Amino acid sequence: MLKKRLVGVVTVKDGWAVQSFGYHRYLPLGKPECLVENLDRWGADEILVQVIDRSKNESGPDFQLLETLGKLGLETPLIYSGGVRSVADGMKLIQLGADRIIVDSLLHKDLDIIRDISEKLGAQAVIGSLPLSWKNNEIQLLNYQSKDLVSISDGILELIQSGIISEILISDWEHEGMPGSFDSKLIEKFPLKNISIIAFGGISQSDQMRVLLEYSEIVAVAIGNFLSYHEHSIQKYKEALIGMPIRLASYESKFSLIANTDVQN
Amino acid sequence: MKIYSVGIIDYGMGNHASVVHSLRDIGFRVRVSNNAADLDETDVLMLPGVGAFPSAMATLHERGMVDYLHQQANLGRPLIGICLGMQLLANASYEHKHTVGLGLIPGDIVPFENHDSHIGWNTLEFSQNNSLWSKSDGAAFYFNHSFCYQGPSEYQVAITQHLIPFPSIIKRGSVIGLQFHPEKSQLAGKALLKNLIEGLVDA
Repeated sequence: MLKKRLVGVVTVKDGWAVQSFGYHRYLPLGKPECLVENLDRWGADEILVQVIDRSKNESGPDFQLLETLGKLGLETPLIYSGGVRSVADGMKLIQLGADRIIVDSLLHKDLDIIRDISEKLGAQAVIGSLPLSWKNNEIQLLNYQSKDLVSISDGILELIQSGIISEILISDWEHEGMPGSFDSKLIEKFPLKNISIIAFGGISQSDQMRVLLEYSEIVAVAIGNFLSYHEHSIQKYKEALIGMPIRLASYESKFSLIANTDVQN
Repeated sequence: MKIYSVGIIDYGMGNHASVVHSLRDIGFRVRVSNNAADLDETDVLMLPGVGAFPSAMATLHERGMVDYLHQQANLGRPLIGICLGMQLLANASYEHKHTVGLGLIPGDIVPFENHDSHIGWNTLEFSQNNSLWSKSDGAAFYFNHSFCYQGPSEYQVAITQHLIPFPSIIKRGSVIGLQFHPEKSQLAGKALLKNLIEGLVDA
């Protein structure tokens, strides 16, 4: 059976990994590659690197960062987000070592390019980013570049429903960085059902993850800041989520953790 | 103790760093090349890859690798295809258009129903007993694909459940295809790669 995933998120701004609070206040954490290496070592199910100033500045993807990460030889699947403008950008990111890419500003600008990216890379490699909030009894989509709150367009919904993008990342941007505050209305009131959602923003407690993972639409929960407080946080969350359909906790060790596999490290 | 070597076929589809890292971590020597003479010096050939089937086949033809892989498979040389590399082993794929594959394992590559994708960690259920994979039964591996193999059951070594069961490992002689990414499957992936490679070479 397909497992639900715990995704470790590294947020990057101005070349540094940062702790973000609602995407308006930031604390530096260090080099992105160090945080990514930790998540790889600690057994995250997936790693999401989101470079938050690339789409805003229209500077394209951070290929240099991907090159650095690609050379690490990660043993964990890597998702890249930030500044994807074209099919060529997507292809280069995959060549540099990303397993999947997230499209964000293209959802507001040019859905045809997303269709082309999906055709070239396969739908499984394409995730759509939807920073949402619940206001005035409706779901609103934040356009990072214009700062406008808009309704989710029919074009975006069609893209999701038709499987052009395989999963959507729903970010509760207002509650990002605030413990235990993800607004589950963003899932309950989302206009489409039977889709695959990665939930992100304000997810910090295992009880909260348990509730979110019960939604059939949620295939993964993504955790950012809260992984930085303790070593092996991902595994501690997994231990607390025993009984849920997730991959069991496992620790990378110099010694084999599987009987008689005799793997050398 | 002999140290085995793996020749990764470089045809420009995807990044090989994770595969190289995993194999070296296990203790194998690794060579990445599209030069037959270099690849001839290795014990096992590996065909990784991400991307679309038609462009991958076109690139293999351009680099003269199609004939080489046929020759090597006929000689009984161990060959492991990973993800797109596994799909290339089949007769043909219907990704975008009908494209002829390497034809090393009979069967076709077809889309999941309703354009579904299969993404994430899932387990393997083996239908044939073999020391190459016996320790991996029930272990979880990372999948990321929208197409899957459809072919004779005699070549289906393991299946995975996703809406319907689909073949996740196929094998014909010394040619093996893995639909998942062992190099991105952490300890479980390395354990399987180690057993497969050592088992194929020692056979």
